[in-house]
Amino acid sequence: MASIADFARAPAPTYHMARPPKTGLMDWLTTVDHKKIGILYGLSGLFYLLVGGLEALLFRIQLAVPDNDFLTGEQFNGLVTMHATTMVFLAVMPIIAAISNYFIPLMIGARDVAFPRMNAFSFWTFLFGSLLLNSSFLFGGAPNAGWFGYAPLTGSQYSGSGIDFWWTGLAMLAISSMVAGVNFIVTILNMRAPGMTLMRMPVLVWMILVIQFLLAFSFPPITVGLILLGFDRTFGTVFYQVSMGGDPQLWQHLFWLFGHPEVYVLILPSMGIVSEILPVFTRRPLFGHHAVIFSGVAIGFMGFGVWGHHMFTVGMGPIADAAFASTTAIVGIPTGVKIFNWLGTLWGGKITFPTAMLFAVSFIPMFTIGGLSGVMHSSPPIDLQQHNSYFVVAHFHYVLVGGALQGLFAGVYFYLPKITGKLLSEKLGKVHFWVFLAGMNLTFFPQHFLGNHGMPRRIYTYPADAGWNTDNMLGTIGVILMATATLVMVYNILTSWKKGKPAGNDPWDASTLEWMTTSPPPVHNFDFTPVVLSERPLWDHKRTPGFEIPVPETSESIHMPSNSWRPMLISVCILLIMVGLLTHLWPLCIVAALGIVAGVYLWVTEPA
Amino acid sequence: MHTDAAPHRPSPSLATWLIACLSLLGAFALSGCDKPTRDVYQPVADSAEISAWFYHLVLAVDAVILAIVVTILVVAIVRFRKKPGDEELPPQSFGNMKMEVAWTVIPTLIVIGITVPTLGGIFELARKPDLNQKIIEVEVTGKQWWWEFDYAKEKLNTANELHVEVGTQVILNMTSADVIHSWWVPRIGGKRDANPGRRYPFYFRPYQVGTFDGQCAELCGASHALMGTRVIVHPKTGADSYEAWVAREQQQAQKPATPQQEAGQKVFMTKGCVACHTIRGVSELAVGARSRTSGPNLTHVGGRTSIAARTLPMTAQNIAKWVKNPQAVKQGALMTNLGLSDEEAAAVGAYLASLK
Amino acid sequence: MSVHAEAIEEGHGTGSLGVPNLKLAMWAFLGSECMFFGSLIGTYFFYHDHSLAGPLPKDVFSIGITSISTFLLLMSSLTMALGVDAMRRGKALRSRNFVWGTALLGLTFVGFQVFEFHHFVTEKGLTLATSLFGSSFYVMTGFHGAHVTVGVIWLSIVGWMIHKGHFGQEKAINVEVSGLYWHFVDIVWIVIFTFVYLLEFAK
Ligand code: HEA
Ligand code: HEA
Ligand code: HEC
Ligand code: CUA
Ligand SMILES: [Cu+2]
Repeated sequence: MASIADFARAPAPTYHMARPPKTGLMDWLTTVDHKKIGILYGLSGLFYLLVGGLEALLFRIQLAVPDNDFLTGEQFNGLVTMHATTMVFLAVMPIIAAISNYFIPLMIGARDVAFPRMNAFSFWTFLFGSLLLNSSFLFGGAPNAGWFGYAPLTGSQYSGSGIDFWWTGLAMLAISSMVAGVNFIVTILNMRAPGMTLMRMPVLVWMILVIQFLLAFSFPPITVGLILLGFDRTFGTVFYQVSMGGDPQLWQHLFWLFGHPEVYVLILPSMGIVSEILPVFTRRPLFGHHAVIFSGVAIGFMGFGVWGHHMFTVGMGPIADAAFASTTAIVGIPTGVKIFNWLGTLWGGKITFPTAMLFAVSFIPMFTIGGLSGVMHSSPPIDLQQHNSYFVVAHFHYVLVGGALQGLFAGVYFYLPKITGKLLSEKLGKVHFWVFLAGMNLTFFPQHFLGNHGMPRRIYTYPADAGWNTDNMLGTIGVILMATATLVMVYNILTSWKKGKPAGNDPWDASTLEWMTTSPPPVHNFDFTPVVLSERPLWDHKRTPGFEIPVPETSESIHMPSNSWRPMLISVCILLIMVGLLTHLWPLCIVAALGIVAGVYLWVTEPA
Repeated sequence: MHTDAAPHRPSPSLATWLIACLSLLGAFALSGCDKPTRDVYQPVADSAEISAWFYHLVLAVDAVILAIVVTILVVAIVRFRKKPGDEELPPQSFGNMKMEVAWTVIPTLIVIGITVPTLGGIFELARKPDLNQKIIEVEVTGKQWWWEFDYAKEKLNTANELHVEVGTQVILNMTSADVIHSWWVPRIGGKRDANPGRRYPFYFRPYQVGTFDGQCAELCGASHALMGTRVIVHPKTGADSYEAWVAREQQQAQKPATPQQEAGQKVFMTKGCVACHTIRGVSELAVGARSRTSGPNLTHVGGRTSIAARTLPMTAQNIAKWVKNPQAVKQGALMTNLGLSDEEAAAVGAYLASLK
Repeated sequence: MSVHAEAIEEGHGTGSLGVPNLKLAMWAFLGSECMFFGSLIGTYFFYHDHSLAGPLPKDVFSIGITSISTFLLLMSSLTMALGVDAMRRGKALRSRNFVWGTALLGLTFVGFQVFEFHHFVTEKGLTLATSLFGSSFYVMTGFHGAHVTVGVIWLSIVGWMIHKGHFGQEKAINVEVSGLYWHFVDIVWIVIFTFVYLLEFAK
């Protein structure tokens, strides 16, 4: 029978590059290789996960006991705002970007993304935006109006310069995401290996395709919202000025028109990862492969029609409330389709439980708990009580931590061996899993009760007699468990990278293309372009006679793009524009804008 | 067959599962320990009751769904675990159309089952009270970080503590003077945002006498956590009736009765308090249409149970403490620290606390 | 060179869908831009008639002048189409002339807009901070103007590259894609002109 050892038979490809490759640090700064960019995204995301978690740890210490004065109200609000902004934009999204960058080309059998330099540009713009955002801690305080920054609290009368860092930083992240969205849409639609039809694409690739559309179409509204905010704060426009007739609800619509699709951006990749992992460790194909794909697309579409469910208490009127309530409840249906197909995959399999599988399996009940409390929110009579209470905090941490983050953890254990070539320690992995799961439930389950018992979110202190003491203390204990578990993971990654067991090409006996090449893959990914004959190309290669991936006799000639400074140059100019806006140094803005023009000219004239 | 697979380690032992489950169960048992005073699901007004009804409906549905999902999951994990040494592949099933249809259609029916009554609930909550019956209508203004209650018909203005009558319909017209706030008293009913530049009603009819706490539920700045509110539901008759409270509130402020109170009034009149506060019959400099005073109306401040939006209990000492340094009690409080001496503060505390 | 090796030469492959990467990217980008301008125009209409202070649209708009600049922009779409067509047929010089002509028309449009803004600010007293109308009008049309400006710079560079012989028929896609962008910016203006300017006088 065929095996993946066959691929070693392929003759080595011949290379050509426009310029000699760079080495060392210079290589990382100028790289346009999707794998290196993926690693850069991954390391930044992991770092920010620790930062966001540390912020949570700090404000959970404040909340451990009633009437605590570990933090002031301003500090607390700053930490909560930065926790959410960091987790959403700087931890989970970059880790998703890391996986998309590293694995999309591998999974579709391509050499790189469609626009490698644009990819580098996305990364640097993200990185500089994140640094700009976090530098607010050093200059005049962190943004503190909550992660959805409702106007007019973000107006210059009510808040300080933290908000300037917030809108400029987020604007950079928005640019980065929109560019990445376009890049990946093209990559996935256009760079698939021969034979890889859309329906043969791995579910993860599909989910990432869906989120790229969500990114490309949902970031513009918030960008406009941020521009209006920036103009209000910088140039004296009156968009959110109530005294001039402005209506703060405009911001809410623009934000949630982005915000809701955004939460699906956070969850769909994890659903994709789960859909990749379950078949591997049950030894069967994904049950209802097409249904899982279609439901993901449906969730993405519907995600644009439900934003008003964040605004039931605002007073949009019963008709609008009714409309948003209905559309929201409907989203549960395609999500259920996914859940049941996963259960169908498990049912009748031969299941093993390495850490990746543990996280993938526990995703199912944890996400379901979060999703079902979402269904409660979708009913306005219930949501009027739950909105802005800890019940909502419980809802979204079950879907974000129990769902998105656990899915990404599963992805780390599953995919990292491909990146490092080394297996992670299963023993530490299991410690990570169990401690994290316990901590997560300990923190977030009692928050349902806190919400039902009337505790609003974002309060830095609470009285001892409200009946919230035990649940808050449990929450603080839980985060200590989660933090410990996360540190175990970090330790596991670092040690295994250095001295883990070699993973080999295909450590899990998996079925998709990325496992066909070496771990780590060569710069050019595949020695030859694979021809895809089914939705499980590698599985069928190994087991189904007649479906072997043909190994060519002649070597391919590969053109690889060379390193480039241009992407970072343009990102720096964007950063300078933002700094100019922040400090009202208009000449800086103009110089930087000219820099962008020059950078673009250099970009287009640079030989690839 | 050649695979490059690493050896899979044995799955977690039963003991690990047990310990994890037990400790979680223990934790959850703990989480019911405190006695909540603001339980959303012990309603005292129709609005909260409607919410509670829907909550229990969806909770039941959710519980069934979760039970099904978890049962299937657990059974699958237990039954279909790979036995050591069993290298045969399980049946390669790619899906089943009938099941796909089933788990699309059944949830659709459930969703319809939840949504249709929900729509009824939305309109029920938005239904205007019967204007032919007695109605208490209050203009509510959220301000950083306190609540102004203006009873236009009764011509009285108070702060932070809302007085209503059992069995009588209440209309609260919500607005804000600065940023967005949200008025929430869990046992009365779901919250409503107080939006600057808008006026939006919230209806409820309380059916239980008592005092019910709540607080602002929309992040509104440094002291959002200290923007409490309280609803006092009066009986229909008796010394503590709503009408009696209204009659008391409508009176002019009491005259100082002791020398210290006298001194306190003097402090109030001379130290700049009048720029922001009204005491009817003493100083109405700041009075005007609703929302124009920057501080709470103090005419009957001593009659309140707390000060500074439920941050401190109402005592003369606490007023003195507050007046001496408001920002020490409440971060960022928008009341100026006028640098009163201890003596002045004590006097003003005694005076204000006497204004029942 | 295999299909794939070719495809990663930024944007010049034809890819799985049979559409060049660059073109697909431009379409995706323009979809995103639709949401962007949709939000800006939406904001304008959200605040229509909400201004607390004058001057109002009717007081400041001068349909005559704006019609001229609109006409010029419309014509620029024509010249753009001709430029793309010329390049497809390999007539580089003709294409260069049309592309530069388009840029020139675009520049004139921007000139008109600068004049209009200047006139509104100095003569009519409408600034960014005057009213919701001022804010939303300037930001919306300003961002459109910025897009036109970007287009002018882009087309100038494209023209220059053709002039220098960098873009020949085989790279017609570069001209085509700048054309897509240009038509989009043009269409956005048609929407703004119709709904913001003309409708003001239709009532
Ligand atoms: C990963 C992120 C994520 C995901 C996937 C979801 C998923 C859902 N969310 Fe959630 N949500 C957030 C993140 C997310 N949410 C965040 C961050 C906030 C707060 C923002 C803030 O205020 O700061 C929020 C807030 C929020 C609100 C506003 C609450 C409020 O502030 O008042 C609402 C209201 O409807 C809501 C609803 C839903 C619904 C219906 C789903 C559905 O998609 C869930 C669908 C899943 C299931 C239903 C479970 C599985 C299904 C079955 C087993 C089938 C059978 C089920 C039925 C028949 C019902 N969410
Ligand atoms: C993906 C998003 C995401 C993730 C992963 C998390 C993760 C966590 N969140 Fe967060 N959270 C949000 C998104 C997220 N959150 C959002 C959107 C809000 C709303 C904000 C708002 O209201 O505006 C919020 C708000 C929020 C609140 C409510 C605050 C309030 O309203 O007052 C709470 C309270 O407990 C909380 C807790 C936690 C905890 C304990 C974790 C844990 O899972 C974290 C676990 C810890 C770690 C993963 C890191 C541990 C490591 C270390 C501590 C070591 C550090 C060492 C070095 C740096 C060297 N979050
Ligand atoms: C700049 C305006 C301003 C001045 C001057 C001012 N106050 Fe206040 N005062 C406020 C505001 C605003 C609040 C509400 C603060 C809060 O709860 O966050 C308040 C609250 C109070 C309260 C609590 C009222 C309640 O209902 O809980 C008392 C008592 C009070 N002030 C007394 C005084 C006295 C006495 C002085 C003069 C020595 C004074 N104030 C001067 C603005 C002012
Ligand atoms: Cu007012 Cu929070
Ligand atoms: Cu949502």
